Amino acid sequence: MSRIPLTSIEQQPEPVREWMARRGNLNVFRLLANAPQVFDGWTQMVDELFDSPTFSRRMREVVILRVAHLQGSRYELGQHVGIARNTGLTDQQINAILDTDHLDAAGFSRTERTALDVVTELCSTHRLTEDSFATAHAVFGDEALTELLMIVSCYYGLALVLNAADLDVDAAARFQTLTGDAT
Amino acid sequence: MTRIAYRRPEEMTEQARELTSARGNLNVYRVLANAEKVFTGWMLAGRAILTSQTVPVRLRELVVLRTAYLMDCPYELGQHRDVARTAGVSSDEINAVTSESDWQEAHFDAVELALLRLTTELLTTRNVSAKVFEQVHAALGSEATVEVLMVISRYSGLALMLNALDVDLDETARLPIPPVRS
Repeated sequence: MSRIPLTSIEQQPEPVREWMARRGNLNVFRLLANAPQVFDGWTQMVDELFDSPTFSRRMREVVILRVAHLQGSRYELGQHVGIARNTGLTDQQINAILDTDHLDAAGFSRTERTALDVVTELCSTHRLTEDSFATAHAVFGDEALTELLMIVSCYYGLALVLNAADLDVDAAARFQTLTGDAT
Repeated sequence: MTRIAYRRPEEMTEQARELTSARGNLNVYRVLANAEKVFTGWMLAGRAILTSQTVPVRLRELVVLRTAYLMDCPYELGQHRDVARTAGVSSDEINAVTSESDWQEAHFDAVELALLRLTTELLTTRNVSAKVFEQVHAALGSEATVEVLMVISRYSGLALMLNALDVDLDETARLPIPPVRS
């Protein structure tokens, strides 16, 4: 049971209601909307992360699932396992990301594997060795590597909020990673 | 040494340039501007946290310093030791929150201690005990509690980026609080 009462969608200002209608009427948004001074800025960040063409949807979900797993976020996993499956990840690959199957045997591309290694090292040690950084930088370059870190940063921090609030996973509502016409 | 190149102001969009300038053109922003498709949204999220008056600046800076210490982030510590001082945190208090356990013996009030406990539990175990959570929630209410959690969220995630890119601390430039209106 959430330790903080969830806000009611009907009582949100129009732009917030519209944003939730677009992205999903999720418990996480109803929780964070308790803090209206910072909620709007956070939603703009989320929009840019999901509207950016830098990574494929599948690649983004590889990163998010790994962060959610390493942070022990029941809520993020509850939302993103299904999304990951919809982007083409197999059950074996999802299990490998969740450490219940072998990463080496799951058929990840070299780029995906590099991303998984970066996320694992960063979330567990809070830094990257020179070698790990150099490998990731060679694969992604300045812009994509920085953007990958932005995704990690967002989900690493969000997991802490969700764990602290002990937020319940939504019964059916799911986060909409695509908005506009492409739903 | 910073592991990737800084973006120059003339390489940023006008909005990104203004947001960066209002926050002192710090190395952290010039590095993260490399992620040009998501940088503006990230900056807007940060501005909201830095300009909100829901959580007193002193409380916010105690939480930021504790987060920076537990995430082992030299850049955040370097910036926020000075920011905290301007927010009324004494040198002794700064040393206490950036140590393993001295903060428990320092003269923080009950709310400050509860917040430091919450931050410490959350960053070391990824969870918070019901008792500590309830202390904070009862003292601050829902709005400020969520904001405090968003502060921890922001600075813990930022610490990962700063450490991954090994960003050098600015020689003298410090984050203006609140950000300068441009």
